Amino acid sequence: MTKVNENTTAAKSDSRKTEINKALVFFDKAGVWILVVCLMAIGFIINPSDYFSVGNIRSILQAISLTGMCCAGLAYIVYSSNMNDMSLPMTIAISGMVSIQLVPFGIVVCIFGGLLTGTLVGIINGFMIGKLRANPIIWTLAFNMVLSGIARVAWGGSQIYPDVVAGGNEAALATAETFNQLARTYFFGGSVSLMMVVMVVMFIISYFIMTHTKFGNQLKIVGTNYETARLSGLNVVRIITLSYIICSFCASVCGLFYASMRKIGSYDNGMGYDFSCLTAVLLGGMTLLGGKGSMVGVFGGVLAVGMLNNVMTLIGISTFNQYLVTGIVFLLIVWLNTKSARKLGRA
Amino acid sequence: MMKKKKFNISLINTYRSYIFLLIVLIFGAFSDNFFTMFNIKSLLSSTSLYTFIGIGFTVCMIAGHMDLSVGYMATAGALVVLGMHTLTGLPWAVSILIAVAVGAVVGILNGLLVTKAKIHSFIATLGMQYVIRGGMYIYCEGKEISVKGDYGLTDKLSSVPIKFLPFNVLFIITLICVIGFSIMLAYTRFGRNIYMLGGNLETAWLAGINSDRATIIVFMLSSMSCALGGALFGIFQGTATPTLGEKGIAPLMIAMTATIIGGTDIAGGKGKVLDTFISITAIVAMFSVVTSLLGKFEYQILLIGFVLALCVFYETLLKYIKQKEIGMRPNLIIKYHEETGK
Repeated sequence: MTKVNENTTAAKSDSRKTEINKALVFFDKAGVWILVVCLMAIGFIINPSDYFSVGNIRSILQAISLTGMCCAGLAYIVYSSNMNDMSLPMTIAISGMVSIQLVPFGIVVCIFGGLLTGTLVGIINGFMIGKLRANPIIWTLAFNMVLSGIARVAWGGSQIYPDVVAGGNEAALATAETFNQLARTYFFGGSVSLMMVVMVVMFIISYFIMTHTKFGNQLKIVGTNYETARLSGLNVVRIITLSYIICSFCASVCGLFYASMRKIGSYDNGMGYDFSCLTAVLLGGMTLLGGKGSMVGVFGGVLAVGMLNNVMTLIGISTFNQYLVTGIVFLLIVWLNTKSARKLGRA
Repeated sequence: MMKKKKFNISLINTYRSYIFLLIVLIFGAFSDNFFTMFNIKSLLSSTSLYTFIGIGFTVCMIAGHMDLSVGYMATAGALVVLGMHTLTGLPWAVSILIAVAVGAVVGILNGLLVTKAKIHSFIATLGMQYVIRGGMYIYCEGKEISVKGDYGLTDKLSSVPIKFLPFNVLFIITLICVIGFSIMLAYTRFGRNIYMLGGNLETAWLAGINSDRATIIVFMLSSMSCALGGALFGIFQGTATPTLGEKGIAPLMIAMTATIIGGTDIAGGKGKVLDTFISITAIVAMFSVVTSLLGKFEYQILLIGFVLALCVFYETLLKYIKQKEIGMRPNLIIKYHEETGK
């Protein structure tokens, strides 16, 4: 009698082990791309004639390109288990402002100066967090406020315009025009813009860095377990500093295009980018614990946010209600991600 | 000799919010009209919204969680209470209760997402922030809601009950809440359980605390405090907009800054509500002093950023030095102290 009981319990525990929910496995593999496909289907049902037209696809990609550039950098931070870079908004704003201020010195100096400013922010962040082990959220939040104060005080709290900065100088005016045209450059008869190309190239490079280089593999170990990485002899300070520099560099590229698109350098240029970019990255399957997710997923997350906004606009949901829908979809996807990872023993 | 010096450093770190307030007050003496009855009264009453948000944020942070939804929760509280009174026509008491109940529901949802769905609190409340914002905009249709005609409670909140003291009723309610939460955290069993949750969740569970229930209650308390603060501030101002209490910086950021300056540990298990309150008072006083001395709004943000960065840098440096000392031999540590004088 007892033997039978033992057998049944053994069989039960065995069946519990081998029984894996197929839906969860599928969700773990496909992740946010399921949402992308669903949104495509919904869009096609609502608007069969126009949804897959060049114009609509271009408008979706154009809308996500700025967020996408930031996300390609922010993914490194989330991947290395440093949660979030709260200084993203001011990195975007200040690199745009510096580059506009440098317009009289020619287009090369202007772009180079903007990128250098962003990289400098990354170096300071990386030193504080990589070397001194400051709390990532608190330090970047504090540094964001400092940068915000510096930008406001240095420019007297006003916005700057490329044309105004150029003054009456002919050559400078031409540079300002070139700068404004950065975000308005189109290829192939207006179907592909420079911003989209830059975003896609950034994602491709990031994908190769993450999967095919020594740095990417080391980053995964650091993100999974910092202490293990340190004790196994990796130069953790260099890895984390480098990831912050990459993140800030991507943000400054975004800042250049942002300033060029709005034709304005202002301290509120990147307002809200800290949380909206984090939303897209987390939607793409990365977790705050670090070391999980991929660049493909992050691109899916960015695409999903853009397509969600597009579909909601097509349905006719007002901007106010879009916040609600975005929040609910975000919570649902993150919950499914967490649940599938936990049930499959990967959390 | 060495002992005395170390004592001083820890003293500065413990009472840094008080020192911050003192420095601000010393600078305030140089500006005209800072120490007038009217100015102090208006300063203290404008701390109330930030204080309520700060209480919520601090309690959550002590329990080892981050509640990012507090800022919008306060705004939602203000909109709900004014909407219930003005649009629906309910009496004040009932509308305040409804606002607090909305806060409780949101808090319970936050807690369930964190404990049962096992989503990191930073993400769960980030999502909840969008949900509250959307719900709020739907409720008020993007417009401001104002008190129409019935200014009885508004007058009562801004009246001064004790003569010769610059405390109006709103500030007294805020103070009572701060003291109540301080007593709850320091002297009740539940309050000390919160510290334990933040210190080590596993240990707390093994010690017999129902950690899930306690976490849900913590989130509920946080959201309720924010909703109450928003409601009172909305009535006090007589109007509520979706951007309540924003002065160049979102209220959430001010509460976050004050919580960190007040010395609450982001990992949890350490912190005091009273310190957060003192640093909020110092920040608001600093805004006023900077405006009257420099006459520019921009310097406020620069200075608050520098104060926060300095606090974080100081704390990080202390931790870094401590980390370096791990593994050193004790006799060498004493030698190291004598040489460097730390």
